Amino acid sequence: MLAIWPIFTSNQFLLTMASMVLLSAIGAASLNLIIRTGHVSLAHAGFMGIGAYGCVLAQLYLEWSFPIALIFGCLLSGLVALAVGPIILRLTGKYFVLVTFMLGEIIRMIFIEWKSLTGGSNGLSNFPPIHPIFESSINFYYLALIVSVLCVALCWRILTSELGRAIDSMREAEKVALCSGVPVIKIKILIFVIGCVLVAIQGAFQAHLIKFVDPTSFNDLASLNFVVMNVIGGMFHVAGPLIGTIFISLFPELLRDYVDYQRVIFGVVLIIVMAALPGGIVGTFARLRGKK
Amino acid sequence: MFSMAMFGQALVNGVSLSAIYVLIALGFTLLFGIMRVVNFAHGAFAMLGGYALFFAYGQYQLPYAVAIIGSALLVASAGLIFEYFVVRWFYHKMFQSMIGLMGLNMAMVFTGVIVWDAHERSIPAAASEVLFVGDLVIPADRVVVLAVAIVVLFLFWMFISKTKYGLAMRAASQDVEIAGTQGINARRIYQVAFFIAIFMTALAGSLYTQVYALSPFVGERILMVAFVVVILGGMGSIPGAALGGILLGLSESFLSTFFGAAVSTFVTFGAVILLLVVRPWGILGEPE
Repeated sequence: MLAIWPIFTSNQFLLTMASMVLLSAIGAASLNLIIRTGHVSLAHAGFMGIGAYGCVLAQLYLEWSFPIALIFGCLLSGLVALAVGPIILRLTGKYFVLVTFMLGEIIRMIFIEWKSLTGGSNGLSNFPPIHPIFESSINFYYLALIVSVLCVALCWRILTSELGRAIDSMREAEKVALCSGVPVIKIKILIFVIGCVLVAIQGAFQAHLIKFVDPTSFNDLASLNFVVMNVIGGMFHVAGPLIGTIFISLFPELLRDYVDYQRVIFGVVLIIVMAALPGGIVGTFARLRGKK
Repeated sequence: MFSMAMFGQALVNGVSLSAIYVLIALGFTLLFGIMRVVNFAHGAFAMLGGYALFFAYGQYQLPYAVAIIGSALLVASAGLIFEYFVVRWFYHKMFQSMIGLMGLNMAMVFTGVIVWDAHERSIPAAASEVLFVGDLVIPADRVVVLAVAIVVLFLFWMFISKTKYGLAMRAASQDVEIAGTQGINARRIYQVAFFIAIFMTALAGSLYTQVYALSPFVGERILMVAFVVVILGGMGSIPGAALGGILLGLSESFLSTFFGAAVSTFVTFGAVILLLVVRPWGILGEPE
């Protein structure tokens, strides 16, 4: 269905919007991977930024072609994750949330302060496109669809594999998992790095979709947005982050006629959903079905 | 570049900044310690305090003492309405509270944008004189900030340590259920704690926006301060919030005077991350 519908529409805005949703699904699903290990990261948008800046800067200054620049951006994000992961993943619960919050802010401040390289708050634009054929919205949409499906499928595959069971076990009972021979910290680092690499892919493609990178796209609100997507959708179902992404991305668009009130209403909806549906949308459906 | 005058200036700025930071963080840590709520709307309430002072003092020209206390009281009373409709659903649910109150924050900030538009405003200073003490130049409004903050902090300390409600509050923060069996009405305690926390935040917000500038987005920076201070001192620890506020205010003032604002932020955040890694429960907090 996702592959066919663009044939019936040529609305540029809808297509760009849809590409955006597809790319956001990567971030939400990859954060879900990290959340499953029991760690809620608020630095996710920061890593997305590393991917975006890494890719764009490699294209601009090193004049690499897009695929190599993309790999460069992902590697950069992965390396940073690998460097900080072993230190911060030993923290649990709220302490991890706070330390990643700070980490995300530091990453964003580097984007702002390193003006000679990143252009500071003004951001970067006028970088070479991925390939001339992706200039048209519809082609970009299909590219985003393929990339998104591959990345989300990877997350889903990991969660349903033996590794996924190990992840669930160490979230529910870390000490038991450790005693049963699960290399807890190694898996946590592995998953953290994979999550950060995936979100870097999103960052790189998103930079090319909107043809612009600037530090505000990667601030704490963007990170929180990923968490909200997971929480609204339901954290412990594979479909949760996807439904959350659609909800979070499309809901503000539904209120487009009331631009002034859009965020106010969105805030109120967040409150109501959190107070009334603690398991998220998917969790609530699962519970309703369980009752019948 | 280094001189005694600059040192003294940084000290004066640092002390008045510290006083505001302590006020911000005390409310935040109180809510976390007693209700286990991470108040993401903390900065938004501070923003309301700023606007209340803007109208009371800037527009209607009430006497300063009446304006500043009155506007904080007004915001705290309004806070009780928010408590009834929103916040009480999130008590003892740390994770939901983060997201839900983030929603509240968003709703409040953008309602602010609709009502007061996004332009920056300035609140007239309470005192425009400048005091000369030796080589030091001390703007009188900084002294006013410090005086107001010290009075409120002293009252807060008296309340917590000397009154029956303060005792009940400390008991509830240690163990709600056992406090309940001793005849403490937790619901009432929560309301009182929320009122006090919002009062201090609103006050800090009006002092802060009077020194800097007022806009609906001023809360972001204040929320960040609350986070940093509370992590430094220890989540839920009241002396910790006081110590953290002083540390952050002084270090920010000195670092930005001598090395610039960017260095100051990097060093502060770096230190906080380091602290979180080696001693996540903060300087005066207790490990769980």
